[in-house]
Amino acid sequence: MESLQYFLPQVWFAILGLFLFLYVMLDGFDLGVGILSITASSEERRGILMLSLGNVWDANETWLVLMGGALFGAFPLAYGTILQALYIPVMVMIFGLIFRAVAFEFREHARTKLYWNIAFGGGSFLAALGQGFALGAVLQGIAVDSVGNFIGGTWDWLTWRSLLVALTLIQGYVLIGSTYLILKTEGDLQTTHYGTAKIASITTFIGAVYLTITTPIFSESARDRLFDPPLVYIFALIPLLGALLIFLLLRSLYLNQEKRPFFWTLLLFLLSFIGLGLVVFPYIIPSEITIYEAAASPSSLVFMIVFIGFLIPIMLAYNIYNYIVFRGKIIPSTAENKR
Amino acid sequence: MEFLSDTVVLSRLQFALTAIFHMLFPVLTTGMAIYLIVVEGLWLKTRNKNYYYHARFWSKLYVLNFGIGVASGLPMEFEFGTNWTPFSQAVGDFFGSVLGFEASMAFALEAGFLGIMLFGWERVPPIMHYLATIMVAIGANLSIFWILSANSWLQTPAGGEFINGHFVVSDYFQAIFNPFMLNSVLHMFFATLETSLFVIGGISAWYILNQRQSEFFALSFKIVLAIAIAVTPLQLYIGHLSGEQVYHYQPTKLAAMEAQWETIPAGESPSWSAIAFPNDKAEKNDWEISIPGLLSYILEIKPQLSESVLGLKEYAPEDRPHQIGLVYYAFRIMIAIGFFLAGLMGITVLQWLRGKLSLENIAQQRWLLRTWLFSIPLGYIAVESGWIVRCVGRQPWTVYGEIRTVDAASQLPASDVLASLTTFAVVYSILFFFALYFAIRIIRAGANLDLPVPGENISPELDTNKAQHIPNSRPAEAKQ
Repeated sequence: MESLQYFLPQVWFAILGLFLFLYVMLDGFDLGVGILSITASSEERRGILMLSLGNVWDANETWLVLMGGALFGAFPLAYGTILQALYIPVMVMIFGLIFRAVAFEFREHARTKLYWNIAFGGGSFLAALGQGFALGAVLQGIAVDSVGNFIGGTWDWLTWRSLLVALTLIQGYVLIGSTYLILKTEGDLQTTHYGTAKIASITTFIGAVYLTITTPIFSESARDRLFDPPLVYIFALIPLLGALLIFLLLRSLYLNQEKRPFFWTLLLFLLSFIGLGLVVFPYIIPSEITIYEAAASPSSLVFMIVFIGFLIPIMLAYNIYNYIVFRGKIIPSTAENKR
Repeated sequence: MEFLSDTVVLSRLQFALTAIFHMLFPVLTTGMAIYLIVVEGLWLKTRNKNYYYHARFWSKLYVLNFGIGVASGLPMEFEFGTNWTPFSQAVGDFFGSVLGFEASMAFALEAGFLGIMLFGWERVPPIMHYLATIMVAIGANLSIFWILSANSWLQTPAGGEFINGHFVVSDYFQAIFNPFMLNSVLHMFFATLETSLFVIGGISAWYILNQRQSEFFALSFKIVLAIAIAVTPLQLYIGHLSGEQVYHYQPTKLAAMEAQWETIPAGESPSWSAIAFPNDKAEKNDWEISIPGLLSYILEIKPQLSESVLGLKEYAPEDRPHQIGLVYYAFRIMIAIGFFLAGLMGITVLQWLRGKLSLENIAQQRWLLRTWLFSIPLGYIAVESGWIVRCVGRQPWTVYGEIRTVDAASQLPASDVLASLTTFAVVYSILFFFALYFAIRIIRAGANLDLPVPGENISPELDTNKAQHIPNSRPAEAKQ
């Protein structure tokens, strides 16, 4: 029974990590394409960009809703405290997501596309910005009292460091969005996004390097854990693998490969995630509240594992099926794409 | 303007606004999903391509509503944490897991198959497409199950107990299937269906009135009418059962719904107040018009009350709701609409039986069709009124009898909440306007009856086989 109290929160930490990873990966390219749409040179191109997301954007956003629900159920203390502390960035994210979500259909029907272009691009940017600040704020720590109630100020999340996390996340989204577009488009449009992918991979790399170096300097708890064997070896391995992946990514971009850039970017995201997980674990509010303190009662956790755990493979299966049905390039010139 | 600096009031207003706005969209999509199953099923069975065109036409309105539904649903998932932190932390074990189930079982299913339902007509075999449509409908309606289970638990908490202000679940089954749950789920299920039927029927009536594609839209008019025969009376009955439950479980809400200040002992046959001006300060109705002997029929379908009806004055002011007028009138609006729609269904069916709805006669039923057109917003108004009765009537509690709303709210700076509330109000007003504007545009454009039907060659010179294999193409849609 004693071990169960450790095991269950760990399982839920892993499940939440999975949801967050799926969200950042899937809505990552989604938001990235949205941000890239700001720079699209023509209405036709912008149309193709949105077409590439038409059938997946809502399914991708599911993972955020799911993460919200799972965090609420499995770690109610953290759900409440984090969201209260991050009121402003969370609202920014929500309004961003609202704007971009409605832009899909509204733009389709509107005669003046401009407003909905702004809603789509600007909304995607705001959503990514809000998420980046939220992530940055959680990593830098949230002021709580002994029982986990938020005691900080409403602007605590706004620091240079969280701004840097936000900018890096936006770069990451632009990168994965660019590689997704390389996968889905052809010709000039594809060439453009080879270019954006190259720039974004460099800027993401710079941000990631800076964050990797400074995390142990800023976070005492992370330092204590990460520099003890055996974790220190893994921790040392992550930057090396990261550099290797960036190299492979840039190489595939320069060789004009179509599928590999997306694949290497995914691995890069996965690696960053493992890194983040190692830095944060076993905390859910870093350096203050552990997953064991924030967890719901064991019976709740078991009940949720039975329900949601059973559904995860099913959800993955039909989401994969959706991607298989709509695989391949978007061909906008066909009459069928004109509504 | 004292409330502008009261975080609790602002958070309540924000929750009310976001919930009321959000509700407008899933109401239509969950109900219409069932209609889409019906028409697509009819198409597969009869191969009459008009049914296919119905599936295509109405799904345009479906996706417009779905997009805003997703967008406005998102804040709901996070607002519990941002604005209702103490509540979330106290009941997250149960309430949060139910929201997690809703996301994983319902919303994920709906969103996961929606892409195929909308854009997959020529990419998957018809039977697979039909399966996707069914999954979308199941997903949407499972949302009703979980959300209403969670909300019912706030009304009649069960399946565990509060220990140090923290709800510990002992029996999940009891908590999910709490006393209010079953009726509430059915009431909401039929509410979305009924609203959608009258929206589809009303829009169809508009086309027939304007003699545009009359034959085509007479078809949808009759399909929804046929479904409404069962739905409208059932909804009235389930509504009655829900009222009876309030009578037994939530006496303060019942008293507010009836603006009943004094207790009525069992055995009496009291009058039912039809119009009143409740005065919360004086603890009485300033004036009212009432119908003698009706209340016991409304509550129990009996001439005398078998239990007493507790008046508001039985409770200390801090233990009872205070927006009595709002709850009282919202309740009356809801039931008036329920009866009106059932009556409209009855009259229309009568005309149908008399042969007045045949193709040559239907356009002459101008007043009937106009009434249907006018009824389009009524379902929405009834649904929103019902939610107002349900949640304003529950006050001062967030979890009835357990957690007070004042204790449930996050201690945020009022300026933060005022800023987000104002933004929601502005953004949602814009979205509401454009949703309506684009919906009208879709309706004005009419149905495209020249679309290629999957599996059929439209004309010999067009090679449809080739088109089917173009990856990632959206099927053609109506728009010239």
